[in-house]
Amino acid sequence: MIFTQQLGQKERPYGWEDLIVLGGLFAAIYGIVMLAREWTGALRPVAEIHSEIQYLPLYAFYSLSRGVIAYGVSFLFTMFYGYVMARVRDAERIMLPVLDILQSIPVLGFLPGFVLGLVHLFPHWNIGLEIASVLMIFTGQVWNMTFSFYSSLKSVPPDLLAVSQLAKMSWWQRFLRVDLSYAATGLVWNSMMSMAGGWFFLTVSEAFVLGEHDFRLPGLGSYMSVAIEQGDTKAQILGVVAMLSMIVIVDQLVWRPIVAWSQKFTEEENSAAARSWLWERIRRSRVWGLISQSAGQIWRSPTQTAPRKSILAPRGLPGPWGRRAMTLLLGLGVLWGVSKYIHTLTTLHSHDWIDLVISTLTTFLRVMIAVALASLWTIPIGVLIGRNPQAARACQPIIQMAASFPAPMIFPAVVGGMLALGIGLNVSSVLLLLLGTQWYVLFNVIAGASALPRDLWEFSRLARFSLTHRWRTLILPGIFPHLLTGWITATGGAWNASIVAEYMKYRGQTLSTVGLGSSISIATEKGDFHILAAAVGIMALTVVSFNRFVWRPLSHRAQTRYALQ
Amino acid sequence: MGTPLLQVRNLFHHFAVGRGTIEILHDVNLEVNEHEVVAILGPSGCGKSTLLRVIIGLETPSSGQILYKGHEQHGLNSCAALVFQSFALFPWLTVQQNIATCIANLPLDPAEIEKRIKHVIDLVGLEGFEEAYPKELSGGMKQRVGFARALAVEPELLCMDEPFSALDVLTGETLRNEAIDLYMSKTSPVNTILIVTHSISEAVFMATRIVVMGAHPGTIRAIVENKLPYPRDEHHPEFIKLSQRLHALVTQTMMPPALEVPEPAPGEAVRRLVPQAIPTVSLLPTIGLLEVLENEGDMDLATLTRYVNAEFTQLLLVIQAAEMLGWVTTPGQRVVMTEEGRRFLAADVNQRKQLLNRKLRELFVFDLVLQILDHSETGEVEEEVVLSQLAIHFPLERPARMMRTVVAWARYAELFKFSSSRKMIYRQDAVAAERKTATV
Repeated sequence: MIFTQQLGQKERPYGWEDLIVLGGLFAAIYGIVMLAREWTGALRPVAEIHSEIQYLPLYAFYSLSRGVIAYGVSFLFTMFYGYVMARVRDAERIMLPVLDILQSIPVLGFLPGFVLGLVHLFPHWNIGLEIASVLMIFTGQVWNMTFSFYSSLKSVPPDLLAVSQLAKMSWWQRFLRVDLSYAATGLVWNSMMSMAGGWFFLTVSEAFVLGEHDFRLPGLGSYMSVAIEQGDTKAQILGVVAMLSMIVIVDQLVWRPIVAWSQKFTEEENSAAARSWLWERIRRSRVWGLISQSAGQIWRSPTQTAPRKSILAPRGLPGPWGRRAMTLLLGLGVLWGVSKYIHTLTTLHSHDWIDLVISTLTTFLRVMIAVALASLWTIPIGVLIGRNPQAARACQPIIQMAASFPAPMIFPAVVGGMLALGIGLNVSSVLLLLLGTQWYVLFNVIAGASALPRDLWEFSRLARFSLTHRWRTLILPGIFPHLLTGWITATGGAWNASIVAEYMKYRGQTLSTVGLGSSISIATEKGDFHILAAAVGIMALTVVSFNRFVWRPLSHRAQTRYALQ
Repeated sequence: MGTPLLQVRNLFHHFAVGRGTIEILHDVNLEVNEHEVVAILGPSGCGKSTLLRVIIGLETPSSGQILYKGHEQHGLNSCAALVFQSFALFPWLTVQQNIATCIANLPLDPAEIEKRIKHVIDLVGLEGFEEAYPKELSGGMKQRVGFARALAVEPELLCMDEPFSALDVLTGETLRNEAIDLYMSKTSPVNTILIVTHSISEAVFMATRIVVMGAHPGTIRAIVENKLPYPRDEHHPEFIKLSQRLHALVTQTMMPPALEVPEPAPGEAVRRLVPQAIPTVSLLPTIGLLEVLENEGDMDLATLTRYVNAEFTQLLLVIQAAEMLGWVTTPGQRVVMTEEGRRFLAADVNQRKQLLNRKLRELFVFDLVLQILDHSETGEVEEEVVLSQLAIHFPLERPARMMRTVVAWARYAELFKFSSSRKMIYRQDAVAAERKTATV
């Protein structure tokens, strides 16, 4: 209690802020009841989707709940996986590559396992299908959060850990006060990115065909996919508007307050501190005072109740023999899995393999072209914005909105336009990949350009560098490390996006073009799990080896040669 | 006096570096009695901070014993507190919360905790800053929080790890005085202090006993009593005398008398050089030293330290480098420029390079690299090869750090070149190699 009450907060009369907080609580309770009804309802593989506007808020609510629950799962996964990876000796040697591979597996790769397994588990309830959908959204959210948490934990200053030791903090206290607090800034930023990443495959996560079975859950994603299939332009526009409103509302009501709150975890005093009208209001409300007071209790109570030891504390680790046994078990498990996987692959014919190789090369080409095109426009624009702080401040929220909007929702509209111009999916899918991934490059170019030292910039003016000279010696090397980060994220995203860019249902017909993405989509729809396994494996392998053999040497070079101290 | 508060017995400590180990502490024995201020004085890298961390229980020694009040100590010493050089405050907690966090887990009732916080805030003069976050405070105020946090534990032994070296000179001076006031005052809980420092005047100003440590590996070289009464005056003749004595001691530990090099037997073809490590300093301050001596005349060490206003141990490294290059000699406590030094200073940039080039060839490390290059057919050699050779010949040094100095000196003298992108060392005249680098 000393943490919140020391200076005797003035008694504030209850105000309308308290009404909002309370109202929010009641709304949440109603929402949970609604969700429970939907989730525990009888299994309806194909929910009927109404195209009328009054259904949209409900669908948006369903989708949002899935996103939020998926985020909760992502958060827990991140806490556990990231902590163990960073703090348990030798764990990162296995867990880091595993995370790398998991990250590169496209969402459809997880789909059959999740859906079939969970529907089997809950044959009469909707809950199995709902969990499967949540898990697919989870796979679009979780990885960058885990990476961020892990790297924050690795860089906690040793002196702070020493203080926590001297203060005899329990494991739980150290986790809250040191680890989680230190990681908070990066975690908040990555959570925003993750929510956007989760929406990207919303259409796929809520409506999909698996073998002979058609699955559809009520939500914005299904609404859009039905509207697209039927060619209902009005419904499509309504869906886009609903999606955008949802993003804006979540940004204003959730992320802005959280970002404003999380400023206290940064070490530097920020002149352009992020502000949030909502956070200012909430902080002033009395109900919030009550809530944060009980939070203070949580921090204190474990010392008195829980024993100091914890399973994750270093001394709680198994001895050398236990470790060896665990490693052996793990190794055997992996070996078994790999042999099963290879066995699956042997059933494929040689012409399947040839098809897959051709598809891979085609998609590879598309990904590269898309990233190149994205760079072509985002580098000059990004540098322009980044050099001008006012422009950066004005553009940032717009770009952020655009980036969080799931591009696949407007893919069909774009394809329709291209078809009208006589351009087939083969070419227009490059444009779709571009739409999905250009933002990553733009974000990073802006960050890089605004980090360019002013002195260098002024020198280049004094020395009367020509435009090309300035770009060659100052701008490009200066933004290179950031640009590289953008490229890595963009290529990874583009590979995944190929699944929805190379194959789609549009006005009652199916459009598809040669590519690894369409191979995966078609295999899923036909329920051809052997091809699916092979294609997903190839995609993961391509992304991982491209990271290892192209991006990693390049970023090493960027760090050693182009880092601006 | 009874049993000492703290006894350190036969302490050894190793760090694993790559595949091998480096000995950080070698057979350290030390006693601290109640009502003492003990300063551990030594050059950077002598393991004095590690010693402090071992004493307080943050690190477990490789071997040896720590006795506290006569009992062997395992794990953290709960009667001690530590003040950090880096302050180590939680940026996300207010001043008050930072202090509270450190005693929240002591078996105290909330009223007592509150009382203690109030008391220490009052003690170090932080009233009015209770609700401030560390990022809003200046360095001096931050370290005050560091002190308050340590005092709140009411430690029997207050440990400080270079607590003033991250602060500017004037602020450091203020806090140093305040720390001594705390030690003298009856109302503060502190009566025994263990402070790690690299500043001789800080040690003389604060300590009742000064422990001089030497590096590679860290050992205790001397223990000096300091009976000057508090408050101490830096201009008092006794103060100055003691400082000079410590200067001499530290100099001795850092610059042992030159090794006797046996004269080569007549007819011996191969010239043998003594494997002597080079001090890891850059050449520019070394040349700067010559400029100072040229302008101000030869000086004794203490005057020189005051004149250049540098950290004493760092200055010693520079002098060591100059002596190795034959530019100065150090008879007694004086630094005297040699004829060679004068000639070097008078030369222009290109002549300097030539002089240095000739000189470096006579030093073991550079001779070693040149020999490796001679045996290479392509006239170039990987950095790794040289690093491993350095590790063999100088097991007590960090090879990478020495490598940086070797490369810097060799580049200046145009002795050999180094490409950081290819991680290759190559001969000055290896044109092909150079061209290769240019195109990479």
